[in-house]
Amino acid sequence: MPDTNKSTNALKEVVAIKYITKDNAKFKVVNDFVSMTVTLPDDDGNMTEKTYDRIFLHRAFPFDFPYAYISVLDSDSAEIGLIEDIDAMGEENAKLLRAELDRKYYTPIIKQIISTKDKFGYSYWKILTDEGEMEITLHDTFQSLLKVGGTRIFVNDIDGNRFEIPDIEKLDRQSYRRIELFL
Amino acid sequence: MENRQTLTERLCGMDKSLKKEDILLPIGFDLTPTASRKKTDGIAALLKDRIAVYENGEKTSDIPTESIAEIVFRKGIGCVFVEYRDKCDKWHILCRSDMEYLDLYAAAAREMNRYVEGKEISYTYEKEIDRRCPKCNRQYKPGSTICEHCVDKKSYLARLWKIAKPYHKLIYLSVGFYFIIAAANLVPPYINRILVDDYIKAETLPKVLSYLSVILSMLGVYIVTQLLSMIRSVFLIKASNGIVVTLREMVFDKIQKLSIARISKRTSGELMNRVSNDTANLSRFISQDFGNMVEQILILLAVGIYLFSYDWRLALMIILPTPIVMYSYRLFHRFMRQIFHRQWQMESRANTILHDTFSGIRVVKAFGMEKREIKRYDEITQVERDTNIRANVFFAKIQPFLDFFMGIGEYFLLYYVGNKIIGGQMTIGEMSQFSAYVSIIYGPLRWISWLPRRLTWVMTSIVKIFDVIDENTDVADKENAIDHDIDGYISFENVSFGYDKTSYVLKNISLDIKPGEMIGIVGKSGVGKSTLINLVMRMYDVSEGTIKIDGIDIRDISQQSLRSQIGVVLQETFLFSGTIYDNICYAKPSATRDEVITAAKAAGAHSFIMKLPNAYNTKVGERGHTLSGGERQRIAIARALLHNPKILILDEATASLDTETEKQIQDALQKLIADRTTLAIAHRLSTLRNATRLIVLDKGELAEVGTHDELIKKQGIYYGLVMAQRQMSKMSPKNQAKQEATA
Repeated sequence: MPDTNKSTNALKEVVAIKYITKDNAKFKVVNDFVSMTVTLPDDDGNMTEKTYDRIFLHRAFPFDFPYAYISVLDSDSAEIGLIEDIDAMGEENAKLLRAELDRKYYTPIIKQIISTKDKFGYSYWKILTDEGEMEITLHDTFQSLLKVGGTRIFVNDIDGNRFEIPDIEKLDRQSYRRIELFL
Repeated sequence: MENRQTLTERLCGMDKSLKKEDILLPIGFDLTPTASRKKTDGIAALLKDRIAVYENGEKTSDIPTESIAEIVFRKGIGCVFVEYRDKCDKWHILCRSDMEYLDLYAAAAREMNRYVEGKEISYTYEKEIDRRCPKCNRQYKPGSTICEHCVDKKSYLARLWKIAKPYHKLIYLSVGFYFIIAAANLVPPYINRILVDDYIKAETLPKVLSYLSVILSMLGVYIVTQLLSMIRSVFLIKASNGIVVTLREMVFDKIQKLSIARISKRTSGELMNRVSNDTANLSRFISQDFGNMVEQILILLAVGIYLFSYDWRLALMIILPTPIVMYSYRLFHRFMRQIFHRQWQMESRANTILHDTFSGIRVVKAFGMEKREIKRYDEITQVERDTNIRANVFFAKIQPFLDFFMGIGEYFLLYYVGNKIIGGQMTIGEMSQFSAYVSIIYGPLRWISWLPRRLTWVMTSIVKIFDVIDENTDVADKENAIDHDIDGYISFENVSFGYDKTSYVLKNISLDIKPGEMIGIVGKSGVGKSTLINLVMRMYDVSEGTIKIDGIDIRDISQQSLRSQIGVVLQETFLFSGTIYDNICYAKPSATRDEVITAAKAAGAHSFIMKLPNAYNTKVGERGHTLSGGERQRIAIARALLHNPKILILDEATASLDTETEKQIQDALQKLIADRTTLAIAHRLSTLRNATRLIVLDKGELAEVGTHDELIKKQGIYYGLVMAQRQMSKMSPKNQAKQEATA
């Protein structure tokens, strides 16, 4: 077997990820947005401090790690750096970053599936979420459900809204039965 | 989101200080702008001099328009934002909402921004975007003009009937035959009774002649029914195939006419499914199920009426279990449909894996992943197997019970009839006739319990077929579109374009191109270069502004006329299955062999074609995979050159060629493009050294225009690109000289 670890290390030397940690960055909320002051090596490798009035957060693995591997972008969508784990950023920062992420990724949690109705390839669901009761329409139910890990499900409706079922096994029996066959 | 009028009224009710005419543009929103989650009921309204924001009936902020520099729309994940930048360059959120009215938000934000910039608001977008079902007020699916909620099955069947017009006679005739056959079905049991009562059980010796006549009439009835059903089947097969061919033509025709934007929303597999499978479903339905349906219903009616008129108590006993069985079928209906759907899904998943691995077999082998692929396929087939077992076990479990219930009437019947015979009220012949009818009637009864499933199935196909046929051709020819001989002037006038209405890929492009010019289009990947040339070909319509050719808006020129005068060589060359010759003369089938060879020579393809054993008659495999990338590209260039277009578009046309071959082709092209307008995209800047002018796109805007020298002097983006490429070629000293020479 070839030593893949060794080759990955070699890759790391060529393309270095700029990590944003609680030691090199400070965050605060300005107006409605998060601003960041960070010290990172510039193109020539010199450590420089820079302040961004507004940063954009983007999940690298939105389904696997919603609060880890977060790319921090500037207003031109250029990556400033990567936060490996939000929870390692200190309590205050984590709270603020989580809020910003949750606002951008609006994903109500489905608590109960009240009814489902199929018609001509479309599926009309009535659901109860942590945001209240909603009616959603799915196009091609199988394609609209995304299974992550063993028991987490993401539901995408035709408009592009996203819903999450954190653990299908914890759904009540009737809700589970309504979607069981689509899994 | 409610429409402007209701929002305005609601606002006036909320805030008494507002007058209707003050409210220029209200946006309704349903998520709190600042908190991460939480539904709200909000309105952000553009008034004459400010934007007022309300949440749950309370005013939350008031922003004077003069303090706003810019209003933008931004897409989150599962939600959208409208944001503004104040004059101090600080960003704020105006409102936030879920994705349901995505397009509407984007357009409203754009109009608000126009107002802030001092321009007039145009409300035209509302009509364009706000396509809803008048019945249930739900927004149509993008591209569709029917509402799945309120879809009227009857109207589809009526349309289908209209399409079937040439075959009406055949259908009427076959239905007529069904009547005769149904009636004929009643005869054999009757003859049977005569046979039993008058001959088998007869006390006196029967006459041979009349006995023979009974047997012969039985035979006669049999022959007539078989003959009639044969003719009927032929008629129905003719009709169904005719209808399906018509439908297929309609669907294929429509797909050809749809714009790239609409087509690329669906996978080619899905489109193929609609052209072939859905129409085949329909064909099967008409030729088999429709026939059965008519037949069974007629038999049911005929036998049912006879049974009831003979003895209604008996008939009731037989029919009694049917509603119970039908109801239990209904109970299982949903589950059955889901399990069938799941079966279908699993099959399709397994097929996808097959398709994937086979078309990517080189990658699989190159990385030595055969074992993993085998495991992956094994897993999915196992799931498929389990689903199949589950479905079949389910049926095996319930079917016997249902059949038993269905037939339970027969036992009552035996008891009842037996009593009657013992009492002498009924003859044995009558009993045999009666029980024959009973066994006939169970056929249709069982069959009808399956009918809903079959109907749902075929209706789904019909709806899918009409869904494509009804789709709007968004890039459609105007009624008075003209045919125009192109001279080669192209002008962009404030052209903006976005693939979806939410964000523009190209912004405010203005440019004049003269005939014979070669324009090189330069810029980073994803900056909109290919989009720009797609607009010239009118693969999409511009969102704002106009593109004119020889001073005529391209939307006024018929697409046929426009595209027949544009030659294109695209980044990804596609060769149709066929010979090299077929591929070169694709756009000009009338070309002579000499012309084809000349074009191939100009494209630098002739030499390698002549090295192939079958030369121009060589068959290219699927997508031309037997040829290398460079060879395919040269054939595509030959195809475009033979077409002899007034406007030539080269999108990375020579990217797969080495610089040497590229130069040869460039030189040949140079002679050919002398009198035609050429638009060329290239990352390798040396490709564009013959260009009369270069345009540099940056972030969707026209950043720089000029000759190579002018742009180098300017030391802007183009200069940066040239320097970067020189830097690159320094790594390989061989290329340096070449690069230097071109620059």
